[in-house]
This record gives sequence, C-alpha cells and structure tokens, in this order.
Amino acid sequence: MKRFLPVYAAAAYLFLYLPLVVLGVFSFNSSKVAMWHGFSWQWYAGVFHNTGLLEAARNSLIVAVTATAVSTVIGTLAGYALWNKRAPVLTNSLCLSLLTPEIVTGVSLLAFFEWIFRFLHMQLGLHTVILAHISFCLAYVVIVILARLRTFDPSLEEAALDLGANEWQTFRRVTVPMLLPGILAAALLCFTVSFDDYVITSLVAGVNSETLPMVIYAMARKGVSPEVNALSVMVTVGLGVFILIAGRLEQAQAAREQRS
Amino acid sequence: MSGGGPPTSFAFQKTHNAMKRLRLLFLSPATAVMALLFFAPLAIVFAYSLLTRGPYGGVMRPWTMESYGRVFDPLYGEILWRSVWVAAVSTLLCLMLGFPLALYIARSAGRKTLLLNAVMLPFWTSFLIRTYAWMFLLRDTGLINTALERLHLIRAPLPLLFNTGAVTLGLVYGYLPFMVLPLYATLEKLDPALLDAAEDLGASPWIALWRVAVPLSKPGMIAGCLLVFIPCLGAYLTPDLMGGGKTVMVGNLIQNQFTTARDWPFGAAASLLLMAIVLIVTRSLGRKGEELI
Amino acid sequence: MNRRLFLMGVAGATLGCTSGRGRRLNVYNWENYVAGATIPDFEREFKARVRYATYGSAEEMLAKAMSGNSGWDVVFPSNSFVQPMQALGLLLPLDHKRLTNLGNLETRFQSPEWDPALQWCVPYMHSATGILYSKQVSRPPLAWADLWTDSYSRRVTMLDDPAEVFAACLKRLGCSINSGNERELKSARDLAIRQKPLLRAYLNEEVRDQVVAGDVLVAQMWAQVAQVAMDNAPNLAFSFPSEGFALYADNASILRESKHQDLAYEFVNYLLRPKVAAAIAIEMRTATANAAARSLLPEIQRHNTVLYPAHDVLRRGEWFRALPGPVQRIRDRYWTEIKSA
Repeated sequence: MKRFLPVYAAAAYLFLYLPLVVLGVFSFNSSKVAMWHGFSWQWYAGVFHNTGLLEAARNSLIVAVTATAVSTVIGTLAGYALWNKRAPVLTNSLCLSLLTPEIVTGVSLLAFFEWIFRFLHMQLGLHTVILAHISFCLAYVVIVILARLRTFDPSLEEAALDLGANEWQTFRRVTVPMLLPGILAAALLCFTVSFDDYVITSLVAGVNSETLPMVIYAMARKGVSPEVNALSVMVTVGLGVFILIAGRLEQAQAAREQRS
Repeated sequence: MSGGGPPTSFAFQKTHNAMKRLRLLFLSPATAVMALLFFAPLAIVFAYSLLTRGPYGGVMRPWTMESYGRVFDPLYGEILWRSVWVAAVSTLLCLMLGFPLALYIARSAGRKTLLLNAVMLPFWTSFLIRTYAWMFLLRDTGLINTALERLHLIRAPLPLLFNTGAVTLGLVYGYLPFMVLPLYATLEKLDPALLDAAEDLGASPWIALWRVAVPLSKPGMIAGCLLVFIPCLGAYLTPDLMGGGKTVMVGNLIQNQFTTARDWPFGAAASLLLMAIVLIVTRSLGRKGEELI
Repeated sequence: MNRRLFLMGVAGATLGCTSGRGRRLNVYNWENYVAGATIPDFEREFKARVRYATYGSAEEMLAKAMSGNSGWDVVFPSNSFVQPMQALGLLLPLDHKRLTNLGNLETRFQSPEWDPALQWCVPYMHSATGILYSKQVSRPPLAWADLWTDSYSRRVTMLDDPAEVFAACLKRLGCSINSGNERELKSARDLAIRQKPLLRAYLNEEVRDQVVAGDVLVAQMWAQVAQVAMDNAPNLAFSFPSEGFALYADNASILRESKHQDLAYEFVNYLLRPKVAAAIAIEMRTATANAAARSLLPEIQRHNTVLYPAHDVLRRGEWFRALPGPVQRIRDRYWTEIKSA
C-alpha cells in the first residue's frame, strides 16, 4: 500500500488538472476556435489590456478573502458550540441553507436586499455580495469543523479545566491548535466556493461589483474563449506560486518545530 | 469515554457553567447571520410560493396554494428520482476516489497543506470553462477519442459526451474536493503508528485500512457525502452541458422556473418541497450521536 | 496563519481604486455588441465614464431591472421583452427630439410591430434563427422537416431554448411561432419528442466549436453566431428554412430609474451614428438595424445573405412576441415533458 497510494495520488492529480492543461495549451492558440492554429502570446497581452477583467479579478479576491475570513471565524465558533450543545433550530437552518438551490438563494437574497434598501437608501454592491457569500459559506465551515471535532476526545478539555484553566484559555490553548487542520480545510473550501460562485453573485452584485465568474461567463458563453483561457492560466499560476511559497513556509516551520 | 461522574466540587461546577456560557456566546454570531441572511430571505421564498405568477414574471396576488398542488405530478417525481439516482452514484464514486487521495495527503508529513492546496487549485478557475475543456476532451473529435483511434484501440469514436455517464463524470470532477477536504480533516488525526502497529500484528495493509482508518474517518465520510450529494442534486450546469440538455434534473427544473419560464411561485414551491424532503431524509438517517450536524 | 495574512496583504495592496470624477453612465448589454473602440471613443468625446457590463439572457436583465433600483441606465431588451417591460413601468418614454439620428434606421425598423411609434426602444441589431450545416452532408437541410429525417447520423442539435424549439415545430406544422392554441402546442410537443432520439444534444452557442470541428453536422442556430462559425470554417453553410423561421431584434432602451438620463440619450444617439454602428457591425459581424451604417459597410458584408436576408426570404420570417401567462405555463410544462422524455 505504501507504493500504491503515491501512484494513485498522482493519477488523481492528473485527473484534476487535465482540463487545466487543455486550457493552458489553447491559451497559446493563435486562432479563436478550438482547433490548433499556431503559437501566440496575444491573448495574454489582451488580458492585461482588459481593465474590466483585472478589476473583476480584484473584486473576486476581495469578496472571497473577506467572506472566508468571516465565515471561518463564525463557523468555527459555532461548530465548537454545537459539538456539545444541541441547537436544533440553528443546525436545521444550516442544513437547509446547504440544501437551497443556488438560484433560490440568489433570488431570495436579492428580494431581501431590495426590501431593506428601501429603508436604508442603499444600493447593491460589493457589500451585498460579501454578505451573500457569508450566508452560504457558513454551513460548509460548520460541517467540516464538526467532522473534525467528532474525532476528538472531550476529556482533554475536561483535563485542562480540572487543572485550573478557565474556559477561554482551554479553548484557545487546547482546542484551537487541535482544530487547525480542520480550520484550514474549512477555509479552503469556503474560499473555493466563494471564488467561483456565479449564480448568487450575479443576482446580488451591483453595477460596480462585477466578479471574475461573471465576466468569464459572459466571455465564455459562446464557447471556449482564448482570453478566458489565458486569464485562467494566469490565475492558476499566480495562486500556484502563492501556494508554493506558503508550502515552503510550512515546511520551514515544521522543520523548526522538529528541531526544538 | 468522557466524564461520567457527578460534579465533585464547586470549582468544577463553576467552570462547567462558564463553558456553557462560552458556548452560548459562540453561537450568537452564527445565529445572527442565519436569522438575517437566511431566515428572512427564506420567508420571502415561502411568500413567493403562495402567490401567483405575474403576467411577465415576478409575483402578484392572489394568495393561493396552487403552485404546491402542481408540484405533485408524476413528471416531477420522475425527475426527482432520476436526480437522486445520479447524485447518489456520483457521491459514491467521489467517496471511492476521494478516500485514497485524502489518506495520502493526511500521511504526507510536512507537505500536507501544499498537497491540499494543490487539490483545490484547479477549482479556483471557472467551473464553466473547465466543463468546456472536458467537452473538448470527450467529444467525438476530441483528444481522448482521437488518441484511442490513433492507437488503433477503437475504430469508431466512443460516445463519451451527452449522456448520463458524462454527467456523472462532470459531477464527480466538480465535487471531488468537497469530499476530499472533510475526509482529510478527519484522517489527519489518524496516527500512522496505529496502521503500522496493525500491520506489525500481521494484518494486511488493506485490512488495517478498513479496520482502523475507515471507522475513524466516519464523520468525515458522512460530512463529505452530504457536501457532495446535496449540490449534485441541485446541479444544473453539468447536466445542461455535459448531458447535452437531454435530461432534466431537479436543478435544471428549478433553474428553469426562475429564468426562462419566469414562474417564480412554482419554482419556490418546488424548491421548498425538495428542501423539506431532503432535510427530513438526511435528519432521519443520522442516528443519535452520529448526526452530521 | 501565514497564508491568510499573505492573501489579505495582497488584497489590501490592490485595493487602491481609482474612482473617476465626471459624468457616469451604466450600460447593460448583450455580449459582443460593441466594437473595441466604441466605448472608449464615447468616453473621450463626451468626457464621461461608462460602466459596461454584459448579460447572456434577457431574463437576467429583467430580474435586475424589475427591482427598480438596479443602477443601470441603458439596457437592450429583445423585441419580445419591450412590451412587458413597458407594462411593468420599467422603461422611460423616449423623447425623439433628443434622438436626432433616429432617421438612420432602416424603414422597417422605424415602426416595428413591437413598438410602432418607437416610444420605448430603438432597434439596434437583428437576427434570425435558421439551420447551420456542413456542406459535406448528402442532403442540405433547407427545411425544418429535414431535421426529422435520419440523414445526418444523429449529428444534429437544436437550441436549448423552448421558444426556438417550439418555433421550429410550429413552423413545420404550418402554425405561428407565437401560437397559444393548446392543440397546436400539443402537436408541436409530440413532434419534438419524436425528434429527440435523432438529436445529439440541445445546445446553444456552445455548439459552434463542435460544428466547426465536424462533430455536429447540422445545428439549429442563430444567424449571427452562424456567421462567426462560417468565418472560421469555409465548409459551413446556413439556410433559412422554407416553412418559415423566427426573427428577433435587440433594442436600446433607457430605464425609467436612470439617474443619468441626459448621458443615456447621448449614448443611444451615439450608437445611431452611421460610422459607429458600421464599426460595430464590421468588427462583431452582427446585423445592424441602421440603414445609413449598412451603406458604409464593405460591399461583401452589405449583401451578406445570412446577416441581411433578401426580401423574399424575410417574408417567411415571423417576429417573436411576448406571450400571455397561461400560454407560457402550457409551453413550459410541455418543454419539461420534452426534456424528460
């Protein structure tokens, strides 16, 4: 099995990245249609000149990072509380929010915002998008955190309490460190769900708050669009670089901990 | 497992109450978010389901239960059944394909976050264009068929696109990370020493896996299945593109009501009924102590 | 957490936004309906900033506009949406004195059937639905009935749009595409169900690549999209079915909620300029409703029969109309049955 797992993992990663490879190849295609014509950098140049695209990418990042941060914090706290305390109304509503079809969430949030804005004299904008994303991301976070918590032994907490720690210290020093991999997984899931959301975002976005999926769907609706491919390759490479740097930081940290 | 006896000291009782207060405090932000951003909109949807379709879309009075009545129709029952079937198969495949991957990541010391991020990275590009890429790969003149023909393994192109199989592939591809992440969250706690010990005692690696890793990751498996099955049920883009729009699934039906058909009351009623059914089924499936939430 | 700080830092750094002063206009249009220079030239000449966004379906735009507070100034409804939007009170009645270039429109668009007095909209681009096919087929599909034969080895697609599929079936039966007659609709539904085993898929513009590659031999397609496909693959052709076909036009309208009405009028008037409209038609390969612009097109584009069908062909065409609620409901029910079959 020690040999099987890495081979399987490699195949799995290949499966996950196969469409990206296709997109990457065609981002260098000099023709607009999905048949190879020749090599060209023109679409990459086009992306940099497309201010709408860059602005949309910026908006998407802002929304995803904010919504992830807020949802992860709120969701972790809620998940922890739900671990030992029953709150059927909250859990059922979280479950329901997961079950709601995206378009229903979008339409209902739009109606809700419109109704509220009549009293507040506001308009749709990036803030409504962020609020909408928090609302549907919360359930994901809680589910992942609870799954992680269910593998815990609660007696560790009791031991800390017995030894004189108060509830805050117990939570901060004992539970949270053990939760970290779960928090990370939840945050990643949140970011992914938020970054690529189209239906809900397109309904509650204001005039100035176009996100990347909205722009991409508009450009790509007619079929494979080479500029979109170029942009996707750039986003992937950019985020990939982040991941590699963060991975190095993590490895350095792990090495430091091992040494100490 | 955990503390069985009655509280033995005043200090213990005090911290116990303090923990309760802490938990209550922790629940309040989530409750506020849900109340404002979920319940209020849900109430609006409920109101929509009881109204009538406006002449050009939207809703108007009179109040009526007619939309609910229309949902109870064998046509929609058939659509629901088909969707449940496809979603269930996709979920099962996700579980089988995702478990070894999650296990591998959980066991890679020092590279866990890197590998985990690497799983998510493709999903930070638009799902729509990745679906187009799959369509390009799977169609008759696509990469896979051309490669197989060049290798003389087949003589005519295989119908890899525009059928239920393609839809399943698309769903599995689209939701694999949703299975891997919760599985990883639970498998990460698995001490490799446990598996080594089992092997030392004579068990084959597979049995060790089955007896040790699987029970431990049960909460993760249940969470993953939930996070995959539900969205699969409501998927509309994949059946439209990978399935060639030839089959209607629940997601397409509801999507259609709010877009082309502009029949919001019917869409709202259908969604609410669907949500109620799935909620009841998933809650009743979880026995006490094994609830997913 | 290192990663989180990282990402937040970058997000913060890019937050330096440039908000321009001066006049603003928000335009919501279909994709591929302006040339690369159209908006920048307008911004320069009128010293304004234009927020230009696109949508893929009229229902999307309608959902936003119906709130009455969407923030958009100029939208482009299809002809069958003009009357509903006007009935919902969403459109601004147009003052022709401020649209001096209105006379540039083709005669048939000066008083179209969906807005005879051009009180609510200004026709912009038009097209039709026909059949895009590969010249290599043994039997060129010149009528809708050909799509029900087995001559194309199942490499046929229809549009994933109930209005279009019903239009094809109804025309085959000799009825109007806007029919609300239950019996006619039922026959149309049965026809569509009979056709389904012969189809490869129901696809919209996505099928363009597959037709070019040869996966699909025959596709029900909009003329404008077909033209782009034909530009890229010379072995393709387009036919306007003999039984009749659907026509549609996209029009410019100003929303009643608009806070920038002056600039909106100037923008619509700007789009009516012959040079501007011609530039868009040439670059995006669309059919403009502007006669003065059409006369500026190069010879070969002016007489392109796909984009500008001849008069006797146009006579077979029929405009889409807004349908009353009960009819819409029957059609929608039948569409679900067709897709489920």
